[in-house]
Amino acid sequence: MKSIRLLLLFFSSLCILSACSASEDAADLYKKEKPLQVEVDMPEPLSAETTQTVKAVLKQDGKPVEGAGFVHFEIWKQDHSIRYPMEEAAEIGNGVYQMDIRFKEDGLYYLEVHAGNEGSLVSPVWQFIVGELSEQEMESLKQGAPTQQEVPGRHH
Amino acid sequence: MEENKEQKGISGAQKSSKNNQLHKTIWRWHFYAGIIFAPILVLLAVTGSIYLFKAEIENVLYADYYQVEPQGEQVSVSAQLEEVQALYPGAIVTKYRPGEDEARSNEVTVSSNGESLTVFMDPYTGKSVGELKDDDRIMDKIEEIHGELMTGKIGDRIVELAACWTIVLMATGFFLWFPKKRKGFGGVLFPRFGKGRKILRRDLHAVPAFWLTGGLLFLVMTGLPWSGFWGNNFQAIITNSGEGYPPSVWIGDAPSSDIETQEIAEVPWAAETLDVPLSSVQGLIPMPIDKVVEIADQQGIYPGYSIFIPQEQDGVYTLSVFPPKAQDEATMHIDQYSGAVLADYRYDNYGIIGKIVAWGITLHKGSQFGLVNQLISLIICLGVIFTVFTGIYLWWKRKPKKGSGAPKAPAIFKTKPFLALMIVLGILFPLVGLSILIVWLVDWAIIQRVPAVKRWLNA
Repeated sequence: MKSIRLLLLFFSSLCILSACSASEDAADLYKKEKPLQVEVDMPEPLSAETTQTVKAVLKQDGKPVEGAGFVHFEIWKQDHSIRYPMEEAAEIGNGVYQMDIRFKEDGLYYLEVHAGNEGSLVSPVWQFIVGELSEQEMESLKQGAPTQQEVPGRHH
Repeated sequence: MEENKEQKGISGAQKSSKNNQLHKTIWRWHFYAGIIFAPILVLLAVTGSIYLFKAEIENVLYADYYQVEPQGEQVSVSAQLEEVQALYPGAIVTKYRPGEDEARSNEVTVSSNGESLTVFMDPYTGKSVGELKDDDRIMDKIEEIHGELMTGKIGDRIVELAACWTIVLMATGFFLWFPKKRKGFGGVLFPRFGKGRKILRRDLHAVPAFWLTGGLLFLVMTGLPWSGFWGNNFQAIITNSGEGYPPSVWIGDAPSSDIETQEIAEVPWAAETLDVPLSSVQGLIPMPIDKVVEIADQQGIYPGYSIFIPQEQDGVYTLSVFPPKAQDEATMHIDQYSGAVLADYRYDNYGIIGKIVAWGITLHKGSQFGLVNQLISLIICLGVIFTVFTGIYLWWKRKPKKGSGAPKAPAIFKTKPFLALMIVLGILFPLVGLSILIVWLVDWAIIQRVPAVKRWLNA
């Protein structure tokens, strides 16, 4: 009789102690996405009135993306006074896509990389500085967390 | 006691005494489990009956908050969130739920001074139409009673214990109900009205209980995946096996953004004097929620979804929707900087057990098949209440003046089939196992040693 009680106690405590949780690689057992990863590469410092090259490095599933579906760059100044229309970036191999640009004036700028490949669509926005910031731009930076709300045409 | 009379009828000398012992043991367990868990069962059935109609009830209660007049253009989502932020300074916006149709308000959930509340926004005016504190939501209270007796973790375990013991009640009840010899369907499938009150009393408990068993077992089994102990372990096991819900749908973490921290633009206000290197403000900036709504619409997420807003730099936007039908469920994680879909789990991506559990849950809630589903569940709930009351009435009428009226207890080990059943249930439902151990301990330490208690309990 004692052995039965002990056995039962053993099983019960086993079940209670083994309170398990989802394992970290459980996600591998289900449908997986292959999100595009974009790394923006800017020359530093950037200055106005000279031609510079902005680059984006695309990776997917840990590998550089060759011949991506599309990679478009869009650049605008924070106060929307300057806009460079969306342009296709040139592929130079090893997942690197680039565009030459000549900034008209100093200020706070944004680059949005529109990219898509094998079902994954991304559009990260990169905030960057050309030359010196104006007082006003400095103030707006201090105002709070930067968001893409400055992006034109998003409101609907 | 007609049970005993029935037993005597079978009498086959030796065999009957063994059967009798088994019968008594089972009866005793059924008796105690019934008396102890009856109040909780009634509570669960009552709250469950109400909760079945949650959507209908809330549509009436909160009609003023829900309904808006469609007119012209909608204000952008981020502008609506800014408005909420202005109304509740210092509050954290945690969730946004776009209305499922044109005439439905949007919901913004904020956490303010340690309490969570929902602000209902008219998307056409961009203004709030009202707020509702989580603590004031009556259906949430009902759900809290149903799930955890409003006492958190302890209540959750008690409800789970009651649910597991309901299985024991059904198993033992089934044995007691099971016809001992062929003599027609009276007292088995329908109550015998013409055989006296005692028989009718027994039949009014045992016969409806039999008819309910299938439905109640279904409700218990589909409710258990919610429970804190059995449910969590069950979910973990099936998720890890690849056959359950994908991680983060029920348990497990959402993927985190794979963006490196140094790539994220810093906010200079952290340093008042702006002595931080200016280059640190260069980097990725978070995506506005408007874009998340666009992605949700492009991806065909079922209307009525919620967007959970990331609170950390490496957090993600999580879209989730658990609509009336299991097939429409979706959970999606979106990178807050790039808008990349990091994970997209639909019903079709659940493992086979995950799909069964998902169906179980929508059936349990009564939403899968609409009104028919609600009515069947309601009948089961009402049946449970009826069975509990007839059970208690049965005991009350049979109870002798002195003592509890429990059948005499033979040692459980003398009835091997029953012991085996209890061991199996104790392993499948560890809380049952644990509570049996406690019962034994109490029996050994108190009941068997205090004569008055022993006599009253007929132990």
